[in-house]
Amino acid sequence: MSEAANAETEERTVPRVPLFSPGRIWVLTMSTFTQLVRMKTFYFLIIFAVLVAAASNLNLLYTPAQKLRMLKDASFGAMSIFSWLFAIAATAVLIPRDLEDRTLYTILAKPVPRLEYLLGKLFGVLLTIGVALVVMQVLFTGFLFFREVTVLAAERQALEAQGGMSPEDIQAQLELIRAQGVQWQLLYALVAIFLKAGVVAAVTMLVSTFASSTLFTMIVATIIFLVGHFHKLAAGYWLHELGDSLVAKLVVKPVIMIIPDFRVFNVTENIVGGTPVTTGAMLALVGLALLYMAVYSAVALYLFIDKEF
Amino acid sequence: MSVPAVEVRNLTKVFPLSLKKEYLVAVEDLSLTVNAGEVYGLIGPNGSGKSTTMKVVLGLMAATTGSTKVFGIESRDVRSRHQIGFLPENPYFYKHLTGFETLKFYGRLCGLRGRELKDRANEMLALVDLEVARDRRLGGYSKGMLQRIGLAQAMIQRPRLVVLDEPTAGVDPIGSRQIRDLIFKLKEDGISVFLCSHLLEQVQEVCDRVGIIANGRMWREGPLHELIAIEDQTELVLRDASPALLERIRNLVASDSGGAELVRSGHPRTTLERLFLDIVRESREAKAKEDREKQASKGAKK
Repeated sequence: MSEAANAETEERTVPRVPLFSPGRIWVLTMSTFTQLVRMKTFYFLIIFAVLVAAASNLNLLYTPAQKLRMLKDASFGAMSIFSWLFAIAATAVLIPRDLEDRTLYTILAKPVPRLEYLLGKLFGVLLTIGVALVVMQVLFTGFLFFREVTVLAAERQALEAQGGMSPEDIQAQLELIRAQGVQWQLLYALVAIFLKAGVVAAVTMLVSTFASSTLFTMIVATIIFLVGHFHKLAAGYWLHELGDSLVAKLVVKPVIMIIPDFRVFNVTENIVGGTPVTTGAMLALVGLALLYMAVYSAVALYLFIDKEF
Repeated sequence: MSVPAVEVRNLTKVFPLSLKKEYLVAVEDLSLTVNAGEVYGLIGPNGSGKSTTMKVVLGLMAATTGSTKVFGIESRDVRSRHQIGFLPENPYFYKHLTGFETLKFYGRLCGLRGRELKDRANEMLALVDLEVARDRRLGGYSKGMLQRIGLAQAMIQRPRLVVLDEPTAGVDPIGSRQIRDLIFKLKEDGISVFLCSHLLEQVQEVCDRVGIIANGRMWREGPLHELIAIEDQTELVLRDASPALLERIRNLVASDSGGAELVRSGHPRTTLERLFLDIVRESREAKAKEDREKQASKGAKK
């Protein structure tokens, strides 16, 4: 048989396996999502519902607007803590567990490129966080709406009974309360929390590709998360103090570059405080989060692609 | 001639040991071939390099030097994995999935979808006799059941090569027999099997060819019947021999001045187990000798 014929025969016997398959990533994403759901992750939603119900029924000596703001503060606080904590814990556990159980062997022994495995795991965590956040947002918005309606009715009644105010003044007063009620801007807060969790998950995944244990991954990811909230501030001080010294070049500047700035995602406080965030600013935030995730995932892949199991 | 299922050529795998400038040679200049349709057994003591060889073949590790191919495709090429089904030693699959969901998961990874996937998953469950546990989560499976569902997932995409690492480790005799029967079934279907096992009796029973590895080196490789044949003895196989001829042969043997005796007909064989133990002993002695020589040369340099 000629060489050309041989090559043709070989070409025919080589199975067509796409180098990149969104379908396979989706399979891994859904498997990770199912795994996390069946680990009873969503039980947290019950705790959240109780927390929001308790916060909405607290009748402290606040103004009506403050009562609504407190409900938003408590809800977004809980959503934020759940999302970053979950992003670290879930991502840190997934890959080492697959390795310990040798499930990773059976997956990578199938025609699954390592990039797809990593993306499937990351997207699975993000899908779980996304679904949990949406459910929490729906619950919280429901409570907020109910609280807003009751507070507005009570305030209107009180102002009318008090007398001496024109209908326009009453309306203006009620508008101030409505500004703390259900607003489209609350969705931006939800998106910002999700994006922050996404970056945390990508960082954790990167750490888990070279870490020797789940505990180490969790600790390092948590430290990065905490440092990411003040390192820009601290770096400004240190760079000012150290100038162009070797320490500044070898330590401070790399830390600023490597660790993401998580403070930029803290738009929730503005939204809760009634300061609107523009759509342009939100799009910039989405772009930044995607960039962070892409860079951390690329480095994770670089470390993972030649890793030996 | 058909492309070999597995082709390992001069494989060497070296692991660096922590931060010291020391290295562990896990596999050294190892070559083996698993022909299409045959059952090949790789046997060796713990730490001999069997699993490392298997992992390089599966693309889970890169060779330091040498090459490994699966049906002519380099092991590191993801396309080679389409042809492979792999069952690791003591596998633990996702405990949150049922048996049926597990097979669907692995099937989907191989591109199976819809009715074809469902039918294939059911077919595999029937093959490994797990239809009754179809909708039970794997967390509730026994070790033998996990091993069988592992074998089912390995075969879900109709691979041409099945790699089995200690497939009967920790499995009771009944489960072990079921797995052995499944290997026979694979062989009947023309599927190549690359098997690592400590159970020599089982290897002897199912394998066409065997490689014996120790200290990272291949010590003996070949068809099983050749390996276990006793080389310094001869067997005469006669067709249509008349009783008179046989009688003359017996008389000839009896008249031998050396006192030879015809005990029985048929080729005398040793057991694979005895051969294995002999080779391991031989390899250990060789290694000890090498070490002694190294020590002596170090001492001489000092």
